[in-house]
Amino acid sequence: MTNLKGSVSRRTILRAGAMTGGAAMLGTLPATRLFAQEPEKPSEIIVRAWGGEWVEALKKGVSDPFTEMTGIAVRHDLTEDNEIQPKVWAAVAQNRIPPIHINWDTTTNATKSALRGVTEDLSDLSNLAETTDLAKPVGLEGYPIVNTYGYVYVLAYRPEAFPDGPPTSWKDLLDPKFKGRIALYNDGIGFHFPAQVAGGGSLEGIPDDMGPCWDFVEQMKAQEPLLGEDPDFTAWFQNDEIDAACTISTNALAAKRNGVPIEWTVPVEGCKFDTDGLWIPKGLPENELYWAKQYINFAITAQAQQTWLDGLGLPGVVPGLTPPEGLAGDPSYPTEPEDFEHLIRISSAVQVENESEWFSKFKEIMQG
Amino acid sequence: MTDVTGPEGKRRYPLRWHVMDALEGAAGVLWPRRMAPFTGWLLLAPALLLVAVLVLGMVQIAESSLHTLDRSTFLPSEDYTLENYRTVADSATYLKVIWRSLYGSFLTVVFTLILAFPYSYILVRTNSAFTRKALLVALFLPFFIGQVVRAYGWLIILGNAGLVNDALELIGVERQRLLFSFPTVVFGLVQYMLPFAVLLLAPALTAIPREVETAAGSLGANWARVLWHVVLPMARPGLIGATLVVSTLSLTDFAMPAMLGGGSQDFIANAIYDQFFRTADQGLGSALALLLVAIGSLLVGAIFAAFGAGTLAMGGRE
Amino acid sequence: MTAPLQRAIFWILVGFAVLILSLPMVIVVGASVTSGNIIAFPPEGFSLKWYEKIAQARDLQQAFWRSIQVSLVCVAVSVPVGTLAGIALSRYRLRGAMALQVYLLLPFTVPLIASGIGMMLVFGEWRILGALWPVGVACAVINLPFIIWSVSASAASLDRDLELAAQNCGAGPIATFFHVTLPAVMPGVITGGLLMFVLAMTEFLVSLLLTDARTVTLPVQVYNNIRSIITPDLAAVSTIFVVIALAAVWLLDRLVGLEIFLKSK
Repeated sequence: MTNLKGSVSRRTILRAGAMTGGAAMLGTLPATRLFAQEPEKPSEIIVRAWGGEWVEALKKGVSDPFTEMTGIAVRHDLTEDNEIQPKVWAAVAQNRIPPIHINWDTTTNATKSALRGVTEDLSDLSNLAETTDLAKPVGLEGYPIVNTYGYVYVLAYRPEAFPDGPPTSWKDLLDPKFKGRIALYNDGIGFHFPAQVAGGGSLEGIPDDMGPCWDFVEQMKAQEPLLGEDPDFTAWFQNDEIDAACTISTNALAAKRNGVPIEWTVPVEGCKFDTDGLWIPKGLPENELYWAKQYINFAITAQAQQTWLDGLGLPGVVPGLTPPEGLAGDPSYPTEPEDFEHLIRISSAVQVENESEWFSKFKEIMQG
Repeated sequence: MTDVTGPEGKRRYPLRWHVMDALEGAAGVLWPRRMAPFTGWLLLAPALLLVAVLVLGMVQIAESSLHTLDRSTFLPSEDYTLENYRTVADSATYLKVIWRSLYGSFLTVVFTLILAFPYSYILVRTNSAFTRKALLVALFLPFFIGQVVRAYGWLIILGNAGLVNDALELIGVERQRLLFSFPTVVFGLVQYMLPFAVLLLAPALTAIPREVETAAGSLGANWARVLWHVVLPMARPGLIGATLVVSTLSLTDFAMPAMLGGGSQDFIANAIYDQFFRTADQGLGSALALLLVAIGSLLVGAIFAAFGAGTLAMGGRE
Repeated sequence: MTAPLQRAIFWILVGFAVLILSLPMVIVVGASVTSGNIIAFPPEGFSLKWYEKIAQARDLQQAFWRSIQVSLVCVAVSVPVGTLAGIALSRYRLRGAMALQVYLLLPFTVPLIASGIGMMLVFGEWRILGALWPVGVACAVINLPFIIWSVSASAASLDRDLELAAQNCGAGPIATFFHVTLPAVMPGVITGGLLMFVLAMTEFLVSLLLTDARTVTLPVQVYNNIRSIITPDLAAVSTIFVVIALAAVWLLDRLVGLEIFLKSK
């Protein structure tokens, strides 16, 4: 978490910046105006966000400037993305007003909500015109969700444990000295696709021929990996429980910024690349829906993206962003086409259709 | 019963008595004497209604367990089916997880009772007020730190670079992994359940007069025999109560297997969590949840069948 | 307890129990004064900066007061309901006792996730989701067996003849209840009530499903704030809980004596 002094000074700078940004945004408003007049402002809108440095970054980059410009307070709901889902779905099914205005969500999870029909269409956001292809969800009609940045499931490692330099292949982890010293997400997310390659298969084999993936997971099981979530990984690295983990680069970056000895790399087989986005659940009063849309419209401006994603250390969906310090050229910060060569991107449609099967297969191996 | 009231009583008796009489009168009208056989049910009714909220929820869960998830719309199927139950029955993983939960819950009960019994015994029998207070405080304080933070404390204590391994190294034992195994999960459950077990055992031990033990001792029984033949049988209601609480709560626990199991020691609650929150398959999650309720209830029923429903002070004095 | 061997064995087990009960707490309290950014023991340096941070965090304070309200609702609902039920179970002969026990134990046999989802759907249909009091009611439901049992355990040790004697002396059923039965089960009521309060204060999973951003309670607020790092403010919050608990225990001891947990009047 950021220290207080830093955030104060940062905020002051922002205030100055927000003036110009605000003007830019208001300039775009007439194009998207849904009503003859601006609809009534709610006193606050609720945005679901991840805790820790995730929400800090969103607050600095998007929420605080949005409040400065519109006077609408932004409250952050820190319920996990997985855990808000049944709450939102139940609200829509029971015709209740949903508990949040905006969900900051993984594209995969958001796709499930879109397929279920609980998302509002966002195609009419004016600032979508300025975004790259990354902002458009693959395999869905229109914009039930707007992707806001991409991220990589990197191979994070403890430099001490790799004296000869960073691991170059996922297979390096099969070395007996790493027995019990590797961590994966407990549903295996992020690991399936590189495992498919490392197991000798091809990406075309996803989802129909995943045998190589499961072979490699079996081999990995013999290494007795620990399974957990983001905070577990940081705690394990810090307490010398593990030497390597497949994790989102942002969390590795946060751990590093807080003094945990950790580096990351993209091995030859590649790493999973995916996106997160913002969406609005159905069932909001019309004026609140309007302002929720304005929030998302602002979140995809260059100004908002720059500050927000500086905090996360991730590449955004508008061209011309300056990479945060130390991340230019980093494999976890892809911007150019050649950066994507080693990254594996599978469409959300394929993922949501097969995810639970992959998941239960992974569990079957790991719990066995 | 009502003869304390009377015209002249109005001035002589304090107000409180009149209030009490009015209440008694009202009670007599609302709940006449012939209803007396049902008084027990009357007292129980609010609790039955409160638990009914949960039962209503379980009805919803039961309904959704009869629908499969359609992965093209992420909506439950229209038609009713037992497919979810079949999925569970056919899965070796789930059977393994169910077995692990049962075995873990059994071990937790055994170890918790082994620790809770002497704790309650000394708590009740000690002559030192200081000891008693210290033991009570040590018992209550951990409640105030939630399960997750406590589990995190154990990560630090038992970790590779933790205090226990530091101590082991001092006495020349090589550092070793103490975390992320089935025994660690059971250990975590035991320390979590211990205060509950003591709180249920202590009142039962309080009810045993000290003289009974002294008498048995003076008749020549050694302490182990006194314990086995006198104290334990008399403490039975408390022991059964503690067994029921510890077994059901550890059977359905989520946090300890999640945090101390290193991800490969799931209990059923973890599997349910995965279905509800990770794969959005509420039907399968509901089927697992109902199965867990059935197993837990059978367990409770079996304990009552084995030890008699007369324990736990049910139905008045034996 | 006269036999030295028994004494030795019992004290060893009790010593071990005290150790495993208190050790995590010592670690957490210690870790809360670290000057670093991560929970660690021994702490890196000494600083109160994490206390400073939570002192300034308004959302934490609001969540704290909400948790107090939830706990009070939980106690207000569960204590009368549980006390009556505990007395009913121990003083009256009821048909189908076994089925009753299985039913009343449902709060423990239903996994919390299912309880949470189920009650979310029920409260949603009743249109009371979003208010704070249903969270208190839910906490009362899921922990109800604790208070029922602590009361019925106390009631079991009450001599039935006392109640009969009171009635012979002319006391009506209500007077008997307030002057004989209730005082006798008071230790169970106090233990149970305290337990209900604390469990509602620290309840996470069910509250998570029943609250929203405007009604979030302290444990939900605290745990949800964790994403990639468990920061020491969590330890600081826990330490404050421990301090409050110690103060409450001390106050209770001065007012009524801690012995009340163990002995009937």
